[in-house]
Amino acid sequence: MKSNLSLIPVLLCVLGACSRPSASRDLVPPEIIGLGEDTAPLNCQHFTRGDVIPFAYAFRDDIELGAFNLEIHNNFDHHTHSTEAEDCEEDHDHGEGTAGENPWVFNQDYNIPAGQQNYEARVRIAIPYDVDPGEYHFMIRVTDASGWQQIRSVSIYLE
Amino acid sequence: MIATIVAATMLLAADPDTCVVLSGTTIYGESRKQELMSRSLGSVEVGRNYLENHFSGTLMQRLRTIPGVQSRSIGSGQSKPAIRGLGFNRIAVAVDGIKHEGQQWGDDHGLEIDAFSVDRVEVVKGPGALLYGSDAIGGVLGLYTNYLPTGPVQGKVQFSARSNNEWLGLSARVEGRQGRFYYRFHLTGADYGDYRVPVDSIQYYSYNIPLKDGRLRNTAGRERDGSLALGYVGKTFRNDLTVSDTWSKSGFFANAHGLEVRLSDIDYDRSRRDIDLPWQRVNHLTVHDHAHWHGPGFILDADLAWQHNARMECSEPVSHGYMPTPPDAVERAFRKHTLTAKAGVRIDWTARHRLLAGVDAEYQHNRRSGWGFIIPDFETASGGLYAVDRWTLSDDLVLNAGLRFDGVRTRIQSYQDWYETLGEYKLRSEDLRKTFRSLTWSAGAAYSTGPWVWKMNAGKSFRVPIPKELGADGVNYHIFRYEKGNPALDPEQSYQMDVGINYAGDRLNIQVDPYLNWFPNYIYLNPTSGYYEGLQMYAYTQCAVLRYGFEVQASLSFGPHWETEIRGEYLHAEQLSGAKKGYTLPFSPPWTADALVRYILRPGTSVQMDLRLIGDQREIVPPEKPTDGSYTLNATVSRQFPLGKTLLKVNLQVENLLDRRYYDHTSYYRLIGVPEPGRNASLLVGLEF
Repeated sequence: MKSNLSLIPVLLCVLGACSRPSASRDLVPPEIIGLGEDTAPLNCQHFTRGDVIPFAYAFRDDIELGAFNLEIHNNFDHHTHSTEAEDCEEDHDHGEGTAGENPWVFNQDYNIPAGQQNYEARVRIAIPYDVDPGEYHFMIRVTDASGWQQIRSVSIYLE
Repeated sequence: MIATIVAATMLLAADPDTCVVLSGTTIYGESRKQELMSRSLGSVEVGRNYLENHFSGTLMQRLRTIPGVQSRSIGSGQSKPAIRGLGFNRIAVAVDGIKHEGQQWGDDHGLEIDAFSVDRVEVVKGPGALLYGSDAIGGVLGLYTNYLPTGPVQGKVQFSARSNNEWLGLSARVEGRQGRFYYRFHLTGADYGDYRVPVDSIQYYSYNIPLKDGRLRNTAGRERDGSLALGYVGKTFRNDLTVSDTWSKSGFFANAHGLEVRLSDIDYDRSRRDIDLPWQRVNHLTVHDHAHWHGPGFILDADLAWQHNARMECSEPVSHGYMPTPPDAVERAFRKHTLTAKAGVRIDWTARHRLLAGVDAEYQHNRRSGWGFIIPDFETASGGLYAVDRWTLSDDLVLNAGLRFDGVRTRIQSYQDWYETLGEYKLRSEDLRKTFRSLTWSAGAAYSTGPWVWKMNAGKSFRVPIPKELGADGVNYHIFRYEKGNPALDPEQSYQMDVGINYAGDRLNIQVDPYLNWFPNYIYLNPTSGYYEGLQMYAYTQCAVLRYGFEVQASLSFGPHWETEIRGEYLHAEQLSGAKKGYTLPFSPPWTADALVRYILRPGTSVQMDLRLIGDQREIVPPEKPTDGSYTLNATVSRQFPLGKTLLKVNLQVENLLDRRYYDHTSYYRLIGVPEPGRNASLLVGLEF
């Protein structure tokens, strides 16, 4: 009973000191924005093996950006549809319905310098010569410092 | 006639369902007030009638009408329990006093329990560590199936149907008593189709997924359960042996499972009752022996139980990233054995002091397989010792205080990927041996004056980190994230103060239960800004958390036929330290309030209307979305028809009469924008003989 009563002021103290709502909470995810004419890759865009994908997008957050990731994987089984409004014409000539022989896998994490609310991301991604041609997905993922995430998926073709 | 007296289910009795059987007499051990006085920590008990009158799908959905109890829908008509917003491994679910052990850490793993076999439910809202050790930090959901038959042959058959997922179920029980021996045999089977929601499409992972006829593809399932109990009931000795098995198979929502949104070759829209990949299958076998012995001034209870939980989750094998196409569909499989032994004694050592003491031990052995890694193999051994003194100062004032010591030893095995990532088989989990010790306590008082009963309880609870929290290092396939365990986690501790105020008048009853809860080191899965192999990294951390809230329940009766009731609950949770300081905890339930009107024609025959108000939830953490409040109108009609020596009970419940579209903030599918079901009628027809 004694320990019971002595806890009341302690707990009330904690309650009083800590229940004030904190104003600095971030409740808004970051954004992925095109860079005008430089924007790449665009949905349904074609690229050539041995060439380069000149990735160019901007990220924006109301408080602070976190990190971003670029990932490319095959869509030979047409497993997904992109987040872009228009659907691309499906490619039935290459790797159709198979796992492919040497599908391209690209997966890279990138840091964004601390304290940024806006960031222009430009990455030149070299496409290997020897990978399977066909439909691929280009995934753009960005976080803010609080852990909110925004995703965009773009369909691309390798020739 | 053989009647029973339910012995006082005192605070922390080793087996709260202790029954003392006397011949030829009926003694009701405690009046409601005495029952209230027997505990200083709030608990709610509901019996079979309540469960039947609230039939609406899963057991947890029936229990969520109890203020402070939430059911977290995990799709396909299944749900997980939560008490005051805490769920998963933060509450203990115990069947006949034995802690149920499955893979309860999983977001979409339901309870492997036959809901129709449950006779009585007891909910302890608050720290229950003194009773159950680790895991009971947020409360205890005690399910009891050990109702003692009174006649030589009796039983019931129940037929159930639900409109939303076209559920059809049949459950039958035959039981009887011959002299000092009794038996009970129970079988349940159920089949259901795809879950239906009042929308045409949902947005998931920034994809737009159209739904055919508003059905969540491939969420159909089936369930087969059986149990057999044999018992001996003597004058001073009783023994119950129960073997029960529950089996279920259900599909996962096909568009929201795996590493990405897939357009599969499987024609999911072909049938709404079939189960295609991806699916989960679980079998839970329990063998439990309970022995009870009593004499002058003492009661001794002992339990021995073995549980085997076999779970398999299959999905279409697809290559992803560096992982080549797996050889088969077994994404994850777990086999877990749990052995439990416990003994407890209750001694009235003076006229005013009652001592409860006990010892329990548990051993868990978990093995994984399949191509998807989320938790490592582990073995855990734990043991606890407790003692509680209950001191009756007078009829109106009862004090109690208890102490418990626990020791837990966990061994986690290492795990390496079965495929190479850039020339290396990545080590996902390291060998780890950890020992945790914890001392917990509880103290409280119950005081009655006139129609009032006042209670106060303060206590400390703990929870040992589970292997997922210590050793996870992999992709969570259901939520598209990378979860990173933390081997340095300490046992989670919780201090809680509870107050219970009860007023019992002739027509008016009021119950108010405020509480204040502080975790110095809550184990929190923090969404970080970092990436790992393209998946956002979530890391286990510990932070201080403050939670407070209350439940309120008031009922008023007007004459013999009319009753009204108001129920409500409110909860506030806030992280006080760490990366998410100032944020709430994930899946914080919004406030809810219910207003009911009930017309009782005669016992067993009634009509009820219920208006449920659900508040907004603007307190969120990534990746949650704020959820708007809503309201639903629900109706229940119950009727009993005596048919010769049998009794026919019919219960029809219609939820969401107005077919409103609303979201449940605490639902697993809220994250992917799946609303709650629309109008849903549930029918339960039972014949008792």
